[in-house]
Amino acid sequence: MRTTIPVIVAFIAGLLVVVSFFFRDGTIVGDVKQEFLVWSSIIGGFTLLLGVVSIVRVNMATVARKKTDWPYKILTLVAIFVMGIPALFPSSWSPLLGTASGTSVYDWLFEYMQKPMMSTMFAILAFYIASAAYRAFRARSAEATLLLITAILVMLYRVPMGEAFLNMFPGNISEILNKYIMNGVNMAVQRGIIIGAALGAASMSLRIILGIERTYLGKS
Amino acid sequence: MSFWQKMEQIDRRWIYLAVAVAVVVPFLFPTPLPISISPEARSLYDAVEALPDGCNVMVVYDYYPATVAECEPIAVAALHHLFRKNCKVVTLTNIPYGGPSMAERVTRRMAARYGKTYGVDYVNLGFKYGYVTVLAGMGQSIESIFPTDNSGTPLSQLPLMDSVKNYSDVSFIFEVADNATADYWVSIVNAQYGVPIGCGGTAVQAPKFYAYVASGQFVGLLGGMRGAAEYEKLIGIEDVATVGMQAQSMVHLLIIGLVVLGNIGYFVVRKQSKKGAA
Amino acid sequence: MSGWEIFQLWLVAFLTLALFSFMYRDNPIYKAVEHIFAGLTVGYQIGLIWNSIILQQVWSFVLEGKGWRLIPAFFGLLMLTRLSSKLSWLSRTSLAFVMGTTAGIFLISELHGRVLPQMQDTMVPLNGGDGFGATLLSVVVVVGTLSTLVYFYFSKEHRGALGVTAKVGIWFIMIAFGAHFGYTVMGRVSLLIGRVQFLIEDWIGSFL
Repeated sequence: MRTTIPVIVAFIAGLLVVVSFFFRDGTIVGDVKQEFLVWSSIIGGFTLLLGVVSIVRVNMATVARKKTDWPYKILTLVAIFVMGIPALFPSSWSPLLGTASGTSVYDWLFEYMQKPMMSTMFAILAFYIASAAYRAFRARSAEATLLLITAILVMLYRVPMGEAFLNMFPGNISEILNKYIMNGVNMAVQRGIIIGAALGAASMSLRIILGIERTYLGKS
Repeated sequence: MSFWQKMEQIDRRWIYLAVAVAVVVPFLFPTPLPISISPEARSLYDAVEALPDGCNVMVVYDYYPATVAECEPIAVAALHHLFRKNCKVVTLTNIPYGGPSMAERVTRRMAARYGKTYGVDYVNLGFKYGYVTVLAGMGQSIESIFPTDNSGTPLSQLPLMDSVKNYSDVSFIFEVADNATADYWVSIVNAQYGVPIGCGGTAVQAPKFYAYVASGQFVGLLGGMRGAAEYEKLIGIEDVATVGMQAQSMVHLLIIGLVVLGNIGYFVVRKQSKKGAA
Repeated sequence: MSGWEIFQLWLVAFLTLALFSFMYRDNPIYKAVEHIFAGLTVGYQIGLIWNSIILQQVWSFVLEGKGWRLIPAFFGLLMLTRLSSKLSWLSRTSLAFVMGTTAGIFLISELHGRVLPQMQDTMVPLNGGDGFGATLLSVVVVVGTLSTLVYFYFSKEHRGALGVTAKVGIWFIMIAFGAHFGYTVMGRVSLLIGRVQFLIEDWIGSFL
């Protein structure tokens, strides 16, 4: 029963959504589908809550047992509560509360702390890619050489200085690269990957609806 | 140890320093060079330019705060173009980490610049979980998926939303994405409802989107900071992306140099090892 | 600039430089800022869940007398049982519902919206365009798409005609991945440029 009922639920939900594609909007089927989609959005939204509870639990356990880096976990917990708790109260009580843009603590912490920090975390990748370019990108084979030559040409034609350099040679190299490499070879390969991935997604969806694929339910 | 063997084992922090210098120098000594317009950017610009003035457009902020440097200039340039044409803009996001806040701030800032009124000229729907169900659900009724805007005001109280009930009331969708949600705008929205979509994406995503441009599922494409710079040039407002391209040039040349140097060192050391073994 | 604006500017600059300090070596300031970042990311979700889901999608409907919205909220709360190994089976129905609706959308949209249009655009006359360039491009697209699909077909060993086609596919894939690498470098560098732009133009520019 613990597996059968969920499989039946998945089947009914999936079947209704598929059937609704063949009915105009505004019919009973369309209206039920619409309500199913809203329910799915609400139920799925609680998975975000799952992440929040999990992280709070893990960090509290680390602090309680004074495990490695436990003082830093206190900072994490303080940050969670300083950002999250004021957002739970209505902004009518105070402009600092709630999630209103420009006035709330929640929005301020996002704009002046979280956003620049996330941007910087990913900006660090530029250093790593440069280091990898020097240490790891080797033309060990013909295929690797082809990859590197293409990469160098693309890196050149996408920047003004590189474009100016390529324009020194006869023929519009930048235009040729855009037409035959990006819109030719690259587009063809991406198309092949898209078709393959989409077929895979469609077949996996059919397996889920029919109850053949049950790994998402976890261990029985 | 030979020179090339030493070079192979150089502390990577010297490489980091070289990258830092390559990024900083162009800001101190700017050398602007002309940026050519790609056919994909031109196509997107022409599609937006051809929209009737005052039509309803969706601008979608499907990017994380991590890629603000690439995506925000695209969103800003798009809003410049759309507000200039007096388009009515409905914004939303499918990104839970910061998407609603960025959509709110950027749209309000740009709207204030053009004297636009919230609720009449633009609305921010905010975020709802489950991008697949959200995209599919808005085909029948936007209000059923977003009963209120981002700040909790019921859509029935926003005059703009009287004329935007579902996709059939939207003339164009400008998707700014740094992840695979752009694929679902294509497969769910464009395929089923026929709404033309223009996409501005990060440079990491852009190569994949060429397939959608070729098949006509995207009317045009802006790839990364370069794409943003091209669009800024087309709308005549050269902003952060255009300035950033100078530094982009320097770092690209540095990385090309590093690849070449690294490979020279690799082959020389390999040859030396073979000679030594012989 | 007001004192508060100056404080904000210096705070952002401090956080940026603290995270960049990791490039020299790991240090307590970097670790502290990193942990604060993790906490703020989670804290953001709390506000988002409360407003976007609980208030806007559930509670506002309950207040209007549409109490049935409590049903998906109840099933959503059952998701939290995944944190308990004994009770996690209670979350299966919720998961199954979400997976079922999503699968239903994907089944049609992936075929209708991605496979068919991409196939349609590939099945074009090879000599349909103007001139040699257009014909070459069409040939490249058709050969590239087919050989890529063949390369990723692993149900049969790549031998004979299949092997040759897969080999052609590898060459196409290497060129495409090279282009992708070039774009990836551009993407990552752009993110760094964004932060440096802030540090130089906004932060240093404010006091020089």
